[in-house]
This record gives sequence, structure tokens and C-alpha cells, in this order.
Amino acid sequence: MTKQEITEKFKTRFGPDLEVLETGQPETYLYISESRYHELCEFAKNDPDLDFDYLFNFGGAHYPEERFEIVLCLSSHEKRHNAIIKVKLDKDNPETVTISDVWEAANWFEREAMELFGIKFKNHPDPRPLLLVEDWDHGYPMRKGWTGPDFIPMPEE
Amino acid sequence: MGIIEKVPAYIERIPGGGIVTTTMDWVLNQSRACSLWYMLFGLACCAIEMMAAGASRYDFDRFGMMFRASPRQSDLMFVAGTVTHKMAKRVKVLYEQMAEPRYVLAMGGCACNGGPFYYDCYSVLKGIDKVIPVDVYVPGCPPRPESLMEGCLKLQQKIKKEKMSDWASDRKKA
Repeated sequence: MTKQEITEKFKTRFGPDLEVLETGQPETYLYISESRYHELCEFAKNDPDLDFDYLFNFGGAHYPEERFEIVLCLSSHEKRHNAIIKVKLDKDNPETVTISDVWEAANWFEREAMELFGIKFKNHPDPRPLLLVEDWDHGYPMRKGWTGPDFIPMPEE
Repeated sequence: MGIIEKVPAYIERIPGGGIVTTTMDWVLNQSRACSLWYMLFGLACCAIEMMAAGASRYDFDRFGMMFRASPRQSDLMFVAGTVTHKMAKRVKVLYEQMAEPRYVLAMGGCACNGGPFYYDCYSVLKGIDKVIPVDVYVPGCPPRPESLMEGCLKLQQKIKKEKMSDWASDRKKA
């Protein structure tokens, strides 16, 4: 499917909860509201035309004073098309639901985002820390403005 | 080692005892310096250069250096690559498992002081010398095998200056 067809398909189903971004990139690029995020993921995976069977990237982002975001990069092996889905989360208490029941790959990605950004994922099957030192207690290092014990910020020019 | 450590210091005080200790120093230091077996252990991209230095083109074997796959049998540890906080604990355990006398060569910018990860980084240790004692630093990103060899020759020079009579005082090595 082309970019326009995919975007239309999502638009007809999710209409007002969707915000399509146009920045000249080759794939569909959109914001979905947090309330219908899980529904969109199930739709993207199970719809026979979309057939997004592969979650190839999942990340967090922090915009201080505004919001947290999570970014999903989806791909379809069969149909050979991609899409990028973003979700805006609350700036003080970022929380959403897990999608590891839709794509199993999201399990470790969400553990990473949990540990580095402090985003909470409800119903996550295995919410243990993944990457940092075992006795880490210095907060969430990927948040903007984070400082730690031997953290040395880049000096200004 | 206990009392054995103190024996060379006493022998040196006997008239003519210096000849014994310096001769023994020479023998021990030559055998240590010319059979530096290093641990087969790499952390990041520097390990690739270390492998190249060990392979036939650059050939560490001509200095008597061979890799050992166990810390128990090795004399020298190349800290080859980026040491994260999580890995630093493991490196320390490996160092402690090595039999004395043991030597450490910090290879590359990351192992020397954090290198490219010095600023704005939450996960990388700023130099392996914060965790274990280092004998030779080899800068570079990564250092070429020639630089690594230069570092090893420097280490050999350092070993050849060691004295038995320092055993009792120098707790780090003896």
C-alpha cells in the first residue's frame, strides 16, 4: 500500500483521535491519542491490508515542559510498507498500556523505556530492569536535565 | 607469601648478597617480561585491534606473548574498550582472579579516561584506573597494533626494573 492509502485507512477508523504529520518523509507518520493506542496497534497488526507484523523500533522521547512521547516504527514483511506511530504522554506522570501482547518484541523495548525514561506500562508481563547497573538508584538517565554521580555535562562553547 | 617476601631484603644486607639478588632479579624479570601471557578478553572495538596485534601480521608471539583463555593463567590484562559501570564490576572480578604478579594495560581512550564518552554520558566509567591499578596507558581510538606493541614494550621495560627487595614494601605487585 502507498503512504496515502495507509494514512486513509487509519483515518477512517480512528478519525478524530488521529493527527497526521506531514514532514516529507516516505512513510505514514501520525500521532494517536493515548486512549486508543492499544486499539490502533491491534488494528495495525490484524488488518489484512495493513498487516504490520514487525515492530522494528520503539523508543521514548522527552520534551521537558511539554510531554513524553513513545515512537513505534512498524513494518510489514509481506506488503513491504512502513509506518511511524507516536503517542503523547503526560509530562509529570507518563503512563500507558503495554503492547507486548500485540508484538512480543515490545517487551524488552518497553523495559528499556521504563528504565531510561520512567514511562510506566500497565499490564507489562515482566517489568524488571534491563540495562542499567543492578543497584542503580539515580533516576531516569535519558530524561533531559538528568545528572548523576559522575556525570560531566558538555561544556558550553 | 609472608616471610619469603622479606628474605631478599635480608640477603641484600649480607656482604656480597647484592650480587645474589641482582642476578636473581635479572633471571626473574627476564622470564616475566618475555613471557607475558595476556588474557583473551575484549570489551569493544579495541578488541579487534588487539586481535589483529595477536594475529600473524603483527605477531605478538615474537615477544613471547600468547593469549590465555583463563584469568588464572594470564599475567597481563588488556582492558580493550569501553568500560561501562555494569562491566567494571566484572572486570574487577577478573583482575582479582589473576595470579600475581599481574599487570594491566589500558588500551584506547575509553579505558584511559572515558574517551569519547567522557561528556554527557550516564553509563561509562571514566577510566579503568578508578577500579583497578593500571601499568601502561595506550591512547588512541582505537590504537593501532603498533601503538599496542609500543605499550607492551614499555611494560617489558617496567618489569625489567623490578627488584626482589621491593617485594615486602610494594604490596601492589608482590
